[in-house]
Amino acid sequence: MLSIKEVTKRYASLTALDQVSLEIRAGEFFGLLGPNGAGKSTLMSLVAGLRATDGGSIALNNVVLSTTDASTRMQLGLVPQDIALYQELSAEQNLRVFGKLYGLKGAELRQRVDETLAAVQLTDRRRDAVKTFSGGMQRRLNLAAALMHRPQLLLCDEPTVGVDPQSRNAIFDYLAQLNREGLTIIYSTHYMEEATRLCSRIGIIDKGKILALGSLDELLTQLPFEEEIRFPANEQTAWLVQQLASQGAVTTIDGIHRFQPRPDYRLSEFYTLTESHNLPARLFTSQRPTLEALFLHLTGRNIRE
Amino acid sequence: MSVLLTLLGKDFAILIRNRGALVLSLIVPMLIIYIVGMVFGIGRSNPGPTSIPLAVVNASSDPAAQQIVDSLRAQGTFQVITNYVNADKTTRPLVEGDLRPMIHDRKFSYALVIPADLFSDDRIGLHLKILSDPRNEIESQMVNGLLQKVIFSSVPNLLGKSLIAGNRKFLGTARNDQFNRALADNIASTFGGDPKTILDNINNGNFGFNQLTQSSSGGAGNGSNNATADFLARLVKIDQVQVVGKDVKSPQATQIVGGYAVMFLLFAVSGSSAAFFDEKNSGIFRRLLSAPVSRAQLLWSRFFYGVLFGLGQLTTLFLAGQLLYGVDVTGHLGGLILACTCVAAACTSFGMLLSAITRSATAANSLATLLVITMSAVGGAWFPISLMPAFMQHLAHYTLVYWAIEAFNGVLWAGDSFVQLLPIVGVLIGITVVVMSFSVWRFNKSPLFE
Repeated sequence: MLSIKEVTKRYASLTALDQVSLEIRAGEFFGLLGPNGAGKSTLMSLVAGLRATDGGSIALNNVVLSTTDASTRMQLGLVPQDIALYQELSAEQNLRVFGKLYGLKGAELRQRVDETLAAVQLTDRRRDAVKTFSGGMQRRLNLAAALMHRPQLLLCDEPTVGVDPQSRNAIFDYLAQLNREGLTIIYSTHYMEEATRLCSRIGIIDKGKILALGSLDELLTQLPFEEEIRFPANEQTAWLVQQLASQGAVTTIDGIHRFQPRPDYRLSEFYTLTESHNLPARLFTSQRPTLEALFLHLTGRNIRE
Repeated sequence: MSVLLTLLGKDFAILIRNRGALVLSLIVPMLIIYIVGMVFGIGRSNPGPTSIPLAVVNASSDPAAQQIVDSLRAQGTFQVITNYVNADKTTRPLVEGDLRPMIHDRKFSYALVIPADLFSDDRIGLHLKILSDPRNEIESQMVNGLLQKVIFSSVPNLLGKSLIAGNRKFLGTARNDQFNRALADNIASTFGGDPKTILDNINNGNFGFNQLTQSSSGGAGNGSNNATADFLARLVKIDQVQVVGKDVKSPQATQIVGGYAVMFLLFAVSGSSAAFFDEKNSGIFRRLLSAPVSRAQLLWSRFFYGVLFGLGQLTTLFLAGQLLYGVDVTGHLGGLILACTCVAAACTSFGMLLSAITRSATAANSLATLLVITMSAVGGAWFPISLMPAFMQHLAHYTLVYWAIEAFNGVLWAGDSFVQLLPIVGVLIGITVVVMSFSVWRFNKSPLFE
């Protein structure tokens, strides 16, 4: 459906995207996972036609996108990172404005407004000014405004920034429902939990390059270990970190050491070592590796750095 | 104490980083001081108005009449026009019949007619005529005062000649000569002096009016000066003929309403350009431009909104002028709508230019304040431009405030027809087209998203 071929984008001396290639299939829920400044929003902007590429091409249903061709944009819906709504206008007025921009009018426009407001559970607040809404309600309306014209491809650029858990779940449920109904979604985030929960396929992006691409399972097989052992970072375990340094990678995040062993390292050796130093077994948990571990493995950095 | 210093330092750090605030707080006041200083002649070698176009029709063959013209030319106040330029660029001396249409066409606002019978044996004193378009009250009063001053101070002997001529007509030559001789002898015997010199002075009309006019123009308002001025005013008859605006119902309000209207409009559209940045910063631009909407459509929609808003604001202002001060708005509705539309378009294009060339609402606001105040002052919204130095008068023609005031005055003061308004309207439309073209070009080129 969406074909991104060797796309490059530069801002002065900074290369924001470096020969990025991606194929997004129809009906896919594609996650673009990367830290801030990785190039996610730039890629979204290029697909949305907000910026021109400096190299490569982007085609939607075999039609090459450009910043000047408005026709292909009818098939796209963008949920910007910011609350892109007219704060003084009501929810209904906002949806009417954005619907009209896509050519909706009359009874069809009214029907779409009703349906969309109902879908994001804002029918009872339809006549209230957006500025009176909570952050979560504004986020839901922000999403709704991109769906008025029923696009084929929805671009969600970190749509849950600053949203409370309840509203976030509501947005996730709605997006999952839309995807089940056939809507293709590209969802950019720096929250691996969101990518893990929502996306059928994930592209990990950093410094303008796609580092890894595939389903969650496919991505995790790229890790050289199958299990990760976590234990608290304190005086009691400080010596252990030194012992393990030659047996794999040890990183510390939020006061927790994460030991990712070499492929040839046998975990029985680890437990023998800890028992010999009378460290209780309850200190250690063994976990399946996560996207965070994969990002760390690929970049040597934590995704939240 | 350290807390106080930290907070103090913080405020200065914010100010230094906020260039817009710096501009507002430093440059704008300096600019205003400079302009006001220029208007009031502070630091100028020749304070007062300069280069006011003044047409002079000299129908008199008397050398004294030419003396008046030369005196006016010698003043920096007036740019004396004595010739009519034909279509083929040839010239001929102006005649009185040329003046009214030329004043209507704004070639000049003041004209002095020196008639063929500058001196008449039938009356005592001089007879002159001033034709004017007093669309600016301050300028008009100043010009009339200056004209009278030039006439009174530059050619006092004319008054004496006139008195002698009138006397000769009344008494007859023989009795007049006899009267003059007797007068000279009496003056010599009472006050001293040479009777022959005194008689020559009387016969030449040299009554010492030079000293009178000098003292009347010098000191401030004592009884002697008032009496002198009154005496001179009786001897010099100046017919004041108002060519334009004589039927205006509320002259003073009509004269000022245009300037203030355009200034408020400029501030309003500047605010509108700042709102443009709110849309940009809130991400609405992203949403809009990801829809089938072009950058140019964004700018043009804002432009048309500005024009309609401006029309609404101007309509409200003028209606308030009618209700409160009796400005005749409904009597000039057609022309006023045309002028308001063109002024609103030009002002809005100015707002769009600010949006296109600045990168933040703060920068737009700062630049707007600077330009609106400058244009209002230089363009004549606050003071008559004739009070300013010549270069500033020239500069005024490059401000849309000047043309907006011209348009409003044309409609409300001069009662211009659509056709008469066309040149001014053409300039305003030209400003709009040029500024909007540049703004759209710049807007399309500029990075909208950081």
